[in-house]
Amino acid sequence: MMSINIVAYKCKKCGRVHFPFHDRCLACKSREFEEIAPKGNAKLLTYTTIFNLPWGFDQRFLIIGIAEFENGVKAMGQVDAQSVEGLKLGMKVRPNWASVRQQHGEDIYGLKFEPIE
Amino acid sequence: MRDVAIIGVGMIPFGRRDEDSLMDLLAYASLKALDDAGLGDKSVNAVYVGNMGGGIIQHQTAIASSLVDRLSLLPAAAETVENGPASGGSAVKNGLLAVASGYYDYVLVVGGEKMREVTGWKATDFVSTMTHPEVEYPYGVTLPGMAGMFTRLYMEKYGVTREHLTAVAIKNQDMGALNPYAHVEMSISREGILDSPHSVVNNPPVADPLHLYDACPVSDGAAAVILCPLEIAKKTGKPPVLIAGFGQATDTHTLQERDDPTDLKAVSLAAKQAFEMAKLKPADIHVAELHDAFTILEIAESEHVGFFKKGEGAIAALAGKTKLGGQIPINVSGGLKARGHPVGATGVAQVVEITFQLRHELPKNRQVKGAENGLTVNFGGFGNNVLAFVLRRVQQ
Ligand SMILES: [Zn+2]
Repeated sequence: MMSINIVAYKCKKCGRVHFPFHDRCLACKSREFEEIAPKGNAKLLTYTTIFNLPWGFDQRFLIIGIAEFENGVKAMGQVDAQSVEGLKLGMKVRPNWASVRQQHGEDIYGLKFEPIE
Repeated sequence: MRDVAIIGVGMIPFGRRDEDSLMDLLAYASLKALDDAGLGDKSVNAVYVGNMGGGIIQHQTAIASSLVDRLSLLPAAAETVENGPASGGSAVKNGLLAVASGYYDYVLVVGGEKMREVTGWKATDFVSTMTHPEVEYPYGVTLPGMAGMFTRLYMEKYGVTREHLTAVAIKNQDMGALNPYAHVEMSISREGILDSPHSVVNNPPVADPLHLYDACPVSDGAAAVILCPLEIAKKTGKPPVLIAGFGQATDTHTLQERDDPTDLKAVSLAAKQAFEMAKLKPADIHVAELHDAFTILEIAESEHVGFFKKGEGAIAALAGKTKLGGQIPINVSGGLKARGHPVGATGVAQVVEITFQLRHELPKNRQVKGAENGLTVNFGGFGNNVLAFVLRRVQQ
């Protein structure tokens, strides 16, 4: 399985976790960050099914969500489900690193959250 | 700082305008505003054009330079203002500050967009370019998608239901049906989009829990205003409308980095600044144009600007408090939901609508009787750049 290829940034001064990168801390404006990897499973904070997809997606719909990892990193990703029927706010999801779209015939990789019952 | 007034407004009907180019739309709205201001063959000192997509959709840049040439406004200063779906509001703000500073006396502000030139797929992709290029856009997220995720949280936190959202959709389409400038001039029934078995077909989900009738259409359109110092405006024929207050605030680019994603901080702050500058309170407002790109946003904004407490906007909408004749009429124009949302035009169109209202020149079935103060909210990104204006009718 491919490892999750994202880097989050923890402020060295106040500890606030940022993802994506900011040049200065959103809380204290410090410019020094420790690079951290998202850890463990994640909690699904919100989600939706997008039915009108943008140009570049050749599928009928897409489920997107935002999840929070065990060390506080929050990130958007696709949700690996056939419908939102089985999804719940706050449910546990397993983060995977997988193809999220194709561009010029190449796979673009990103976060895919797999619901865990 | 000088007081700044609106002395002319112009708008063209929004919708699908296949025969007109983006430049046509901008020019037609501008000419109407110039005529409305009674400027005749006179020129203006500066032009601000609100437009988001010319560079992407029309493959055309430096639109303001092209417009002043076409309108024979040379050698007026000119620039295009791009600020996502808040481009129109930002253009008005630039005009306001230019006149308030004393630098220019007459300014034309025009916002316009031509989005139906490309397929729905491409238009959706164009709007999605305002999401974060690394951590949002690649996943295929769209603005309806952001709104869907926001709605799910808002419903959970405040008990908002599809019934509440439907009340907003019906109100705005009913009002749009009376507005000759509106894209969608068709009333809808609760049965048709919520209660009957057909509603599943008529009103499919676009980004659950949001459905088709919760979202604004993709439109072409343009709107324009002429600004000048209040002292000069007092000598013109029409009741001058003062830009009494203005506010603008920003928030994090991504939803995930907001401590409470249901809290639209930039809306609250922009409105607060505008009210303070105008020395007015939310209760003093008689008519408002809020940025209802999605029905949930009208409800959320009505709370964040201070018309209702958090969690009570939905109840108020369902109870009819935001209808014409209600406690605070919201989106009597039909809003983005029915007037349409040519992104760069919207912020200007809201100011045009409130000017119509404060001049008391609308037909009875659209006019808020005796309206003296109005509010507009132009919501950019997913709430990461928001502008608010308080307008006031001035006695001549
Ligand atoms: Zn910090």
